[in-house]
Amino acid sequence: MIHENPPSNRRGFLGDVHSAMAGMGLAHLLAADAPAKTAAAHQTGVTHFPPRARRVLQVFCPGAASHMDLWEHKPSLEKYHGQPLPGAEDFVSFQGKNGNLMRSPWDFVPAGETGKPISSMLPHMAKHADRIAFVHSMTSKTNTHGPGCVFMNTGHPQEGFPSAGAWMSYALGSANENLPTYVAIPDIRGEPPNGKANWSNGFLPARHQGIAISSQQPIRNLKRPAAISADEERASRELLHLLNARHADAHPDLTELRARMSAYELAARMQLSAPEVMETASEPQSIHQAYGTDDANPLKAGYARNCLLARRLLERGVRYVNLYCASRASGVDGLLNWDAHKTLKSDYERHCPIFDQPTAALLTDLEQRGLLDETLVLWTTEFGRMPTHQEGTTGRDHNPDGFTCWMMGAGVNGGVSYGATDEFGRRAEINPVTVWDFYATVLHLMGFDHKRLTWYYNGLDRRLTDVHGKVINELLAS
Amino acid sequence: MRVFGCRSTRVLIAIVLTTCGTVRGRADDADVVKVDGAKVDVVKIDFAKQVGPILEHHCLKCHKPGNAKGDLSLATAADLRESGALSPGSPDESYLLEIVTPADENEPPEMPKEGDPLTAAQRDVLRRWIAGGADWPAAVVLREPSLADGSWWSLQPLADADPPEVPDAPADWRTHPVDRFIVATLREKGLQPSSQASRRDLIRRATYDLLGLPPTPEETAAFEADDAPGAWERLIDRLLESPHYGERWGRHWLDVIRFGESRGFERNEIINNAWPFRDYVIGSFNDDKPFDQFVREQLAGDVIGGDDRAVAVATTFLVCGPYDDVGNQDPAQAAQIRANTIDDIIRGTMEACIGLTVGCARCHDHKFDPIHQTDYYALYATFAGVTHGSREVGTAEQRQRRTEQLAPLTKSRDELQGQINVFEKTIGERADAKAADIAQHWTRPPLQRTSTEETFEPTAAKFVRLVVEGAENDPRSRSGYRVDEFEVWTDGEDSRNVALASAGGRATGRSRVAQDFADAYSADLTIDGRFGARWIASTPDLTIELADVQTISRVTFSSDRKGDAGSNGVAAFVSEYRIETSTDGEEWKAVADSHDRQPVNEAHRRYRLEQAVITKEQRRKLSDLRKQLGEINRQIAQVPALPVWWVGSFTRPAGPFHVFVGGDPQKPGDTVTPASLTLLKDVAPPSAEMATPGQSRAALAEWLVDPHNPLSPRVLTNRVWQNHFGTGIVATPSDFGAMGEPPTHPQLLDWLARRLITPEAEGGFGWRLKPLHKLIMMSQTYQQSTAPREAALSIDAGSRLLWRFPPRRLSAEEIRDTMLQITGNLDTAMGGPGFRLYRYLQDNVATYVPLEKHGPETYRRAVYHQNARASQVDLMSDFDCPDPAFAAPRRSATTTPLQALTLMNHSFTLDMAAALAERIELDVGADDSSAQAEHGFVLAFGRPPAPAERVASAGLIEQHGLPAFCRVLLNANEFVYLQ
Repeated sequence: MIHENPPSNRRGFLGDVHSAMAGMGLAHLLAADAPAKTAAAHQTGVTHFPPRARRVLQVFCPGAASHMDLWEHKPSLEKYHGQPLPGAEDFVSFQGKNGNLMRSPWDFVPAGETGKPISSMLPHMAKHADRIAFVHSMTSKTNTHGPGCVFMNTGHPQEGFPSAGAWMSYALGSANENLPTYVAIPDIRGEPPNGKANWSNGFLPARHQGIAISSQQPIRNLKRPAAISADEERASRELLHLLNARHADAHPDLTELRARMSAYELAARMQLSAPEVMETASEPQSIHQAYGTDDANPLKAGYARNCLLARRLLERGVRYVNLYCASRASGVDGLLNWDAHKTLKSDYERHCPIFDQPTAALLTDLEQRGLLDETLVLWTTEFGRMPTHQEGTTGRDHNPDGFTCWMMGAGVNGGVSYGATDEFGRRAEINPVTVWDFYATVLHLMGFDHKRLTWYYNGLDRRLTDVHGKVINELLAS
Repeated sequence: MRVFGCRSTRVLIAIVLTTCGTVRGRADDADVVKVDGAKVDVVKIDFAKQVGPILEHHCLKCHKPGNAKGDLSLATAADLRESGALSPGSPDESYLLEIVTPADENEPPEMPKEGDPLTAAQRDVLRRWIAGGADWPAAVVLREPSLADGSWWSLQPLADADPPEVPDAPADWRTHPVDRFIVATLREKGLQPSSQASRRDLIRRATYDLLGLPPTPEETAAFEADDAPGAWERLIDRLLESPHYGERWGRHWLDVIRFGESRGFERNEIINNAWPFRDYVIGSFNDDKPFDQFVREQLAGDVIGGDDRAVAVATTFLVCGPYDDVGNQDPAQAAQIRANTIDDIIRGTMEACIGLTVGCARCHDHKFDPIHQTDYYALYATFAGVTHGSREVGTAEQRQRRTEQLAPLTKSRDELQGQINVFEKTIGERADAKAADIAQHWTRPPLQRTSTEETFEPTAAKFVRLVVEGAENDPRSRSGYRVDEFEVWTDGEDSRNVALASAGGRATGRSRVAQDFADAYSADLTIDGRFGARWIASTPDLTIELADVQTISRVTFSSDRKGDAGSNGVAAFVSEYRIETSTDGEEWKAVADSHDRQPVNEAHRRYRLEQAVITKEQRRKLSDLRKQLGEINRQIAQVPALPVWWVGSFTRPAGPFHVFVGGDPQKPGDTVTPASLTLLKDVAPPSAEMATPGQSRAALAEWLVDPHNPLSPRVLTNRVWQNHFGTGIVATPSDFGAMGEPPTHPQLLDWLARRLITPEAEGGFGWRLKPLHKLIMMSQTYQQSTAPREAALSIDAGSRLLWRFPPRRLSAEEIRDTMLQITGNLDTAMGGPGFRLYRYLQDNVATYVPLEKHGPETYRRAVYHQNARASQVDLMSDFDCPDPAFAAPRRSATTTPLQALTLMNHSFTLDMAAALAERIELDVGADDSSAQAEHGFVLAFGRPPAPAERVASAGLIEQHGLPAFCRVLLNANEFVYLQ
């Protein structure tokens, strides 16, 4: 393996060259990111091979959305309802003892031309079934929400690693410098389990962090303080520019100084662009209706507004949108998210309608605008649920051994169902898939060999896929 | 380019020292054997010398314990035997040979999948070995060789090179040992050192470097005016004596050891009692405690300090990393979580102390460094008795004193409790006697979670309320119950539910609070027409206000309308209630109650019976006793408790300990005992198991600071160097292994390290850091100017060879502390509980919401901020203050637009700008904008403005006021970059 010198050595004597070049803000910022050492250093924006997708929308349903109640039909649960799960008597999982097998409270309805059975709770999403590539054999390393969400987002169950969006920002860079490259949209109900660790840049430079924006909470510190007039702001920026330019001239070798000046200009442009993205009043009424932004259920309306925000961000060149439907664990299981430990039926009768229409509308909207040709859509959750009910309840416990995620959009072989859990949904049985395989495939669609997209940190050239992962060819459109 | 890596192809064969396993008779007499029926001459094959290396280099990468692709491991004779891949004596029937032999000349063989195929000669060796009976001595275990072996540079004893003589170096570069090393390397590259920096730059550099704060204008002026010899040395001495030194350098150490004040993972609960350790670290630096002692205390303070609080506090070091306390009931997952927790301790300790990424050996032998998986699990065994959490710390004397103070109080408490018990027993007996009588009034069926209905005479109502007299869980409690829907029905035909929000109803009732999602458990849920989500009450009543006055005759309410909660606590309901109505919200009329219903459970039945038979006198007496008990309990609580600190607790875990094959606790492998690493066995023999787990930990600490262990002093010296110059002699401060960077000045590193650990009596520093700082700072190398020179930049743009002093951006802490200092707002109070720049919300799990306003209570040095995991705090996070999810051996210095947004717009900047303006006015008056501009420059940048700067600044002040100018100063590049 060849180790290159630290980038600081490669930067050379740039002098004042960049100051004359308009729009070089990004280059400045890139030049300023100086890790201690990076092996096989990746040059941002250069793919390994032609990409199929240029941006990603990741819809994340935290709380462990049940595979066998939403996406993967298990007729055997119907048949053996009330009987013990074979070979699992006295089985203890995350919250304790499990009871007998429990059928899904809802019917599954064949959808689209493929006839894919989808839960009757998701009538809107069912209309997209033919375009979705399901992975029914996902596996996780942990049965705990926080580490599970972080694992699903970063490829590592412990906190501190860069999330997929941060890797994508590092890999591809920005397509619109006036907006963040990577945006996380937390739900109106709050942050997901483990909060901000889910959109962390980890050890990647801070510019790759996910910026939290949502219809309920705009970017922090974005607005000029009320006490400062536009006039004062302009005059202040002029003086700042003068001081900084003189200082930079005196230290021509320090590219960071020019980078920091560019960052201020970028911030100013962001102050104009970001509010414009949030401004959804200009959208036609038909769009609002389709998403459900005015729904009587405030939770559904809130999520719908975030779906609409996601489209506006993607449309304007944001590379990676990490959109959440539901939030952290509350004092009541399954109330704020998909964690239906005790009362599956009533929990999901709350969550499904919030998720179904707005998400489906977002996908339709992306498609109608042609955005889906270059947008890869991921639907993820941190793990699945047990085929049994928890002792003394009508809910299901955590199941990291088998669950469903899916992809659609750019480069995806829609209509495919890859892998499967066993007949009850307990474990991934056919073609088990790891989170690393999932992201190896995502990176492949984005034009990267997951083994070659690395960053040196503390003893290793780190990857989104850790030291694992293989591309699932069956998910790729021919 | 790899200068130091001696990539040895030496065979690594570990001869396992076991008494078991009789070695299969060697085939000494097998020179002639039968192969497939025919007699063939066979030259004896030596497995260890001839076969082992082939397997190690071509097969072991994938086929080893813990990886075992295709379920095949080739590490031991037993592994191979089990696999059935080989038929001793019959090469042609051996799968192993077949699979490495190409089917035809042009095709590669099936194996190995990666790397070069075996040569014909190698295959021949295998063939002859198999033919000869495939002898493999049981004691020979094969290992995949790591990239670096025992000859790796950082594992060698500290070199003892004298500083070189460089006769043609500038005169003032020929004396100081550091300068002689540095200038020698510069000369080799054709580089010249720089001239000395200005006095102004020097005092600024040194003050930030040692204290993390700027010098005051007065200090700068005094230093500039000090012409007497030794001014620089006096400055360094003064700074090293400042208590701010520990705040600055202690923070460096806290970074290295991933010190965080929340638990991390899903719950991420805040930790409010880890600050004593932060103070211990700051104090240890200020006291210049020898670092070997500092390490011993942190690893084993509980053992070597006995019950001395000042030492026991140090073990927070072990337990200040993130840990998962979610309480997993799945035993396999719980074991995995425990293994992760120990892993954090192992990695935290080893990376901090000896700069090796030992964690890589958790699943397999380290691929790059000579660290075996057994080494990792020897450390695992060493730390297996450590548990995260709090412990009471104090001496036996302190405990005794507390016990004595408590004794009379607990005696009274027990007496009172006894009297209460007697009372309750008497009442209970009478209740039992009258039970049948009382129960005959309970004529109606018990209320139901799924639906409870009350009908009453038609009544006009604008308000309807549920007044709860007892909860289902506890008949004495009047809160904590849940209601999913409450319906109010109009009288007569076409009865309608007029409580619904959609019908104009409004529900009021305090609920359990989730501050980040205010409506999570709100009373609105009772009138939303949907079932499932429940109001969680924190008050005895729920009031429904109707849109207008209605004639009503029925209410229905429930906690589990759908019935899917069963008896589960999620739908815990009420046990006793009454329903009241009102037309004005003032006068209330009871229209129904539960008193004639049968009780909901046994506890409820008992409670009702007791309430029915208790006399007035008894009630009074009982209430009086309970009051007295409350008072005693209050007094007990007031006896000062011994401090309870986040120092971990220590037990003797039940062994034996095992290697976890592939890192999986469900796959125990060979047994191990507590020990240190074996990789220095020739210079520093590994520590061994001691009588107690604590002593084994102390022994590990001794090994870490053993004078013959070259890693600790090198790593420590390098950290000190890094924090003076921005980059270490080794640029990867916590990775001195094969994946790390090689040192730029290996001999200088060793010379300094040797000086550091040499006892003071022998002219060394005895592990004290202050003399090391001074030695480094007295060099010309440290005092150089930062001025760039094009020719030098073209050779060494990163200034790694130190032809100049490398400029740097200030850290997040320095930026915040400087803003507070120059405005005169810095609260220099040291120690104690930290402050928070976030609002802490907890509802099952924790959420950290950054504050919009930083009040004066936050105006302390940033090292006292309570840094929580997975929280982002404006300014601090923006300027790369790390999330303590991991150790941060080196801070980043990134540039982002968010920094600009925060520094321009957060109210903290505005407050500081206003405060700076106030100070400037106070110092130089309110009239002269030019003088104001000058004073602002001096305070913010430590220099007066140039004429153009002065004019422009005065212009802004005149047009938009002094605070606008101050806001610009705080945002300027010069404010955050140090020369």
